[in-house]
Amino acid sequence: MVLDVNSLVDADAGLISRRIFIEDDIYQEELERIFARCWLFLCHESQIPNPGDFLTTYMGEDSVLVIRDTSGKIGAFLNVCAHRGNRLCRADNGNASAFTCAYHGWTYGNNGDLQGVPNLKDAYYDDLDRTKWGLISVAQLDTYKGLVFATFDNNAPSLTDYLGEMAWYLDCFFDRREGGVEVVGGVHKWIIPCNWKLPAENFGGDAYHVAWNHLSALTSGFTQAPAARQTLGGGTISPGNGHCILAVGADDYAAAPVEIIQEYEESIRAETVERLGRRLLKMTPNVGTLFPHMSFLRGSSRSFRVWHPKGPDKIEVISCQFVDKAAPPEVKEALRVTGLRAFGPSGVLEQDDMDNWEECTRINRGAVTRRYALNYQMGLGHDSFDDGLGGWSSDFRISDSNPRHFYRRWASLMQADTWDQV
Amino acid sequence: MKDETLREVEQFLYKEARLLDSRRFSEWLELFSDDLRYWMPTRSNRYPVNSKAISILDASRYEEEEVSDEDELALMEETKDTLERRVARLDTGMAWAEDPPSRTRHIITNIEVDAAGSADQLRVYSNFVMYRNRSETDQDFYVGSREDVLRREGGQLRISSRKIVLDQNVLLAKNLSNFF
Repeated sequence: MVLDVNSLVDADAGLISRRIFIEDDIYQEELERIFARCWLFLCHESQIPNPGDFLTTYMGEDSVLVIRDTSGKIGAFLNVCAHRGNRLCRADNGNASAFTCAYHGWTYGNNGDLQGVPNLKDAYYDDLDRTKWGLISVAQLDTYKGLVFATFDNNAPSLTDYLGEMAWYLDCFFDRREGGVEVVGGVHKWIIPCNWKLPAENFGGDAYHVAWNHLSALTSGFTQAPAARQTLGGGTISPGNGHCILAVGADDYAAAPVEIIQEYEESIRAETVERLGRRLLKMTPNVGTLFPHMSFLRGSSRSFRVWHPKGPDKIEVISCQFVDKAAPPEVKEALRVTGLRAFGPSGVLEQDDMDNWEECTRINRGAVTRRYALNYQMGLGHDSFDDGLGGWSSDFRISDSNPRHFYRRWASLMQADTWDQV
Repeated sequence: MKDETLREVEQFLYKEARLLDSRRFSEWLELFSDDLRYWMPTRSNRYPVNSKAISILDASRYEEEEVSDEDELALMEETKDTLERRVARLDTGMAWAEDPPSRTRHIITNIEVDAAGSADQLRVYSNFVMYRNRSETDQDFYVGSREDVLRREGGQLRISSRKIVLDQNVLLAKNLSNFF
């Protein structure tokens, strides 16, 4: 299929076609051109700290097994038996030296090697090259500050190049203090009948919806109302490659209205500025999306999540909470309970988002509805490249500048046959 | 357990279900004691230690328990105060997940009543099917078990602790905007 991408995304005019949120042809191209090529987030190292630790997740719609092997090295493989294509591991996580397929009993080591094949001598006549039938590995795997990423594309740029200036912004969430962060035990997993780009652009650039969509949570004491903030600073930042960051003002901790958490933020302020640099005096990054579909926030909850696509109109969210490793236990506990009440399936902020994203998706089934472009024109011409921030930044804190950069990157990848063309 | 107590507990739980399904949330809140702990853990898929699907490398660290621990993420972990604030939020006219509101039906079954340490406390087990229909075609079935501690306060039974174990791994609903 040849997609006329230019008819779908006109970032300069701030017009985005509704077709990209519902049409299966476009979605299938996304699986190939975006999810099978980009660096995708797998997990945090602290979720698989010891030899043999594993977890299962997704890259696009591909089921993936992430394992720290017996020697301590992290690998990621298609979670698929090479023989008849059965899903190999059915557990969310655990610890193993080897995995055995439930169908015919092929056994793979935790480094992906095919170790055992029943009836190898009598049925295969010892004529099977086991080195050719191991688990299928990702093309590249790398980590940044404890965050594990992989890509299925040998030709993808290095993770360092892919992150670019976004690396510093990740530090503002995951490396504010010595030791970085650790992940709270357990995960939230749930299904939302929406297109994956809606939550990705929401976390990446939608400061607009907060004061309306979330007003009920703001006024019932679950998070800080904008009016209660010391300033209304901050802005939207696009550090390149489609990555997006939202920031509040520099003197705003972007933390839940809980005394122990606010005091903690106050107490580490000087230390984080020292560690991360004086750019932090310009604004406090508090939400973001790493292109294409990993989002994170450090506000009323400290969460990272991936919006795993399950068709044009469905996602599975896998969401975890993180805390500064160096934080005192009572602060970690306060962050855990405050966070899960705000974000997650029952989160008083997030539950309203999900309902809106579903309706924004399903409505596009209408053939006539689909003819009318969506409006991403807020702040057109009122953003510029800010050398101090290392990215495109909006003049006002609320703007569609970030989603325009997000969809520009999306369109570029959807058209490019090679990374040189992106 | 005396028949009279069993009947009293049954009627208490049925009334609670009726209050929820008729969205009389302020009256529902009165059924809880001030020191309430209301907890809905998550469920994970784990191979049991005797599974032949994996060879465990480090048995000393292996955990087969699939209900999340108390210090881990939960689907809900509420106090009386946060439940009150959740109800207050519904009254703002801007709680979009419940606007228009869900149509719910709580079916409460398999009620067992045990003594719970002291004379004024009861441990109550029950199963639930909670059907939620909303908007045009939204439909969710939440099925699971509850373990409550009921305490007699001034002649009234009140729930001081509720553990809700939902029988799902990936939550199949888009959100949890109702109570259990």
